[in-house]
Parts: sequence; C-alpha cells; structure tokens
Amino acid sequence: MNSGFEFKVSVMWESVPVLLTGLKLTIIITIFGLLLGFLLGIVFGMLKISRNVLVRKFAGIYIESIRGTPLMVQVMFIYFGLPLALGMRVPPMVAGVTAIGINSGAYIAELVRGAFQSIERGQVEAGRSIGLTHIQTLYYVIWPQAFRRMIPPLGNQFIISLKDTSLLVVVGVGELTRTGQEIIAANFRAFEVWLTVAIMYFVMTMSIARVLTYIERKMEI
Amino acid sequence: MIEIRNLHKNFGDLHVLKGIDLSITQGEVTVIMGPSGSGKSTLLRCINRLEECTSGTVIVDGYDVMAKDTDINFIRTEAGMVFQQFNLFPHMTALGNVTLGPVKVRKMKKADAEELGIELLSKVGLKDKARVYPDRLSGGQKQRVAIARSLALKPKVLLFDEPTSALDPELVGEVLEVMKQLGREGMTMVVVTHEMGFAREVADRVIFMDEGVIIEEGEPENIFTSPRHERTKSFLSKVI
Repeated sequence: MNSGFEFKVSVMWESVPVLLTGLKLTIIITIFGLLLGFLLGIVFGMLKISRNVLVRKFAGIYIESIRGTPLMVQVMFIYFGLPLALGMRVPPMVAGVTAIGINSGAYIAELVRGAFQSIERGQVEAGRSIGLTHIQTLYYVIWPQAFRRMIPPLGNQFIISLKDTSLLVVVGVGELTRTGQEIIAANFRAFEVWLTVAIMYFVMTMSIARVLTYIERKMEI
Repeated sequence: MIEIRNLHKNFGDLHVLKGIDLSITQGEVTVIMGPSGSGKSTLLRCINRLEECTSGTVIVDGYDVMAKDTDINFIRTEAGMVFQQFNLFPHMTALGNVTLGPVKVRKMKKADAEELGIELLSKVGLKDKARVYPDRLSGGQKQRVAIARSLALKPKVLLFDEPTSALDPELVGEVLEVMKQLGREGMTMVVVTHEMGFAREVADRVIFMDEGVIIEEGEPENIFTSPRHERTKSFLSKVI
C-alpha cells in the first residue's frame, strides 16, 4: 500500500526560522517561570521546616494541592478561571509564567526541604556553639551545604519545567509547540515539523543536563 | 566560673539529670566519667544551652544561662564546645572554619581573623593544613581544627564532649596532647571522656556520674585508686 508519504528534509529546514521565534518564547517562559518557582520553592521549603505547626501546614497545603493536580488544569484555571473571579483578563504570557512558576515552586519546595533536612544536626549545633545566631547558622553553615545537594534534583526540575511549557498551547501562548501546530495547520507536514520541534526540545534539555554535570563537577571539593 | 544548682533534665518521661550541683572554678580541669546514659553529655550540653534544662540554674561567668534576657549567643562564645563527631563545616577550609566565628560573631576584620586563625592552627600543629578542606584531614586533624575553631572566640571555658571517642586509637594521642597543653596553660575545661591517662595527668578533679546524679568526685588519683562507691568501682574495673 502506498501511503504517498515522502520525507522532505527541506520542510524541516524551512520551518526552523519560524520555530525559532517560538523557541525564544519557550526559553523566556522557562526562565521567568523557574525564577518564580525557585523563589516560591525556597520560601515554602523553609516554611515546611518551620518549628510552627500552622506554618508547616500552610506550606503543606500549597505543595500538596499543586502536586496533586495536573499542570494542564492549573494552567486553564489561571487563564480561564481566575479572570472571571478577578474581573480582569490575564495575558497568556503572564498566565503561562505564573503556572510554570507555581507548579515548579511546589516541587522545588520539597527539594529545598529535603536538602536542608539531610544536613546533619551537628552542623547546626557547631554553628550555634561558636555564637552564630539561628539565622546566621542557616545562612553561613546550612544553606551552602544544602544548596550543593540540591543541584542535581534542581536540574531535573529545570528540564521537566522546560518540557512542561509545551502545555501552554491550551492558552494560546506562541511558544515552540504552538508554533509547530501553526506551521502544520498551513503545510500539513506533521512528520517533519514535529520531528524538528522534538529535536529542538531535545537540544535544549541536553544542554541543561550538560551544564549541570559541569557545575556538579566544579562544586565538588 | 560555672555554677550549677539543682539541675534537672527530662526528655519526655525519661529523667536524665536528677538534681546536679556542681561548681567549677577558673583554671580548673574537670573530667566527667560514667557509663553511657548516665547523663554526662546532657549535663555538658546544658551548660551552653544546646539542651534546655527542665529546672535548676546554670550560671556561666556570672550570667544565668536560662534567663530570658541573657544573650545565649554571647554565652556560647564564652563557653566553647568540642564535639565527638568534630562537626567541622565541610564547605570551608580549615582556616575558614576557624575564622567564621571571629568574623561573623566578633566582627573582626578578615585579615586579622586569618592572622589569628593561622596562629591557632599553628598552636594545634596544623598550620600547613590551613587551606585544606575537612574531607582531606584525618580524624585527629579534624578534631584539632575543631579545637582551634572554638579557641578562636577566646572562650573562658571549653566543653569537650567525648572528643576522642570517634577517633582511631592511634590518633587519640595527638588530640589529647593539644588538650593537655591547654590545661597546662590554665584554660578552664570540662571534659567528658574515658581517657584515664588524660584525667590522671591534667585533671584537677574527676566527677563520676551514674543514672543522672553525681555519685563521687575527687582528685583523679583518689578516685582511680580508692573509689568509695560500689558503682564507681565496677565502672572503673570495666574501663581499665
């Protein structure tokens, strides 16, 4: 049976310039989303190890509700749901960055908590025993050690969040996946275009992985 | 220097310290011995409030350790502590470990702190390891850096919590040597240890604890050669 399919490399090359504009947006959303996520992660990770039960519970609600619901639902809730309650439109880009940030923040919070709790109790005691305050001990003694342990799982989260941005097609952000869809709508070359899109994601995630391996090696003493 | 009155400590239902009275004068070297679980480490940790005592008073250099208006961080610079597991900061060099306190707590200039740090590392025989990270040091070297780290705050008393228990036997001597030297220089020290040789040589007084109370105290020779209490006798016979 002849399906009439003919693989054309030229189609791939032709789609690259347009896809690159989408790729640019993907990178921007990932960077800002992760910045927000990192901030939320540190704050909520620290709250999660607070001595106050209520504070811990509060952080737990955020972390569990985000980890317990699909990112796709979160994105649509922020873009379609929240504007109805707030009475104002949320630009797609803002919704996208917010969704990626809030989502990765919950996972990063758990990484932060785990890394802090993995530092031996004796380190805090040693810090306090030379007269450092609780905050100084966290900052000078615990944080540098915890951060080092966070790097590998953090890199993992970066890669996941980068790929997650593709879900933003549902709110019409013109990122890489959306751009691919648009090209296909015009030329019907699904095979070549999706292959190109996949390669672009792969190159980005591989680059992150490489950079992380390098940093890990650098930080090893 | 240290006054402890009727000190009690409970961990939940567990009554670890049952009324300790102890006073330690300046320049005195006190060794605390006793079977594990007798409360020696807890007593030591109550002195710089790493452990909050349940009742009683602890006075260090005239300051009530448990009082609300006492700056506990200041007390801790007055009463330094050396731990069984060293607890060096692994992300800092030996010199970094020693200078952290002077720079961040004493607000010393970095250059001055490093000068002090090198001086103290020389004192414990580790000047050439100043730029080395803890994972490249032996246990004995780590503990000597930890002693230098405590000394950097110019404490009035040093608390040692089983400082040689985690060391390989051949490394114990180098740490004890540093401690003996400190004792001879007049440093006030409270040492939880089972090192009888050390106690004999530098301790002014040995305190024997069991089940949360002080059972017997006196000069090392007296305690070791003619213990009065049955439990002291049986403990010493096992240790020797």
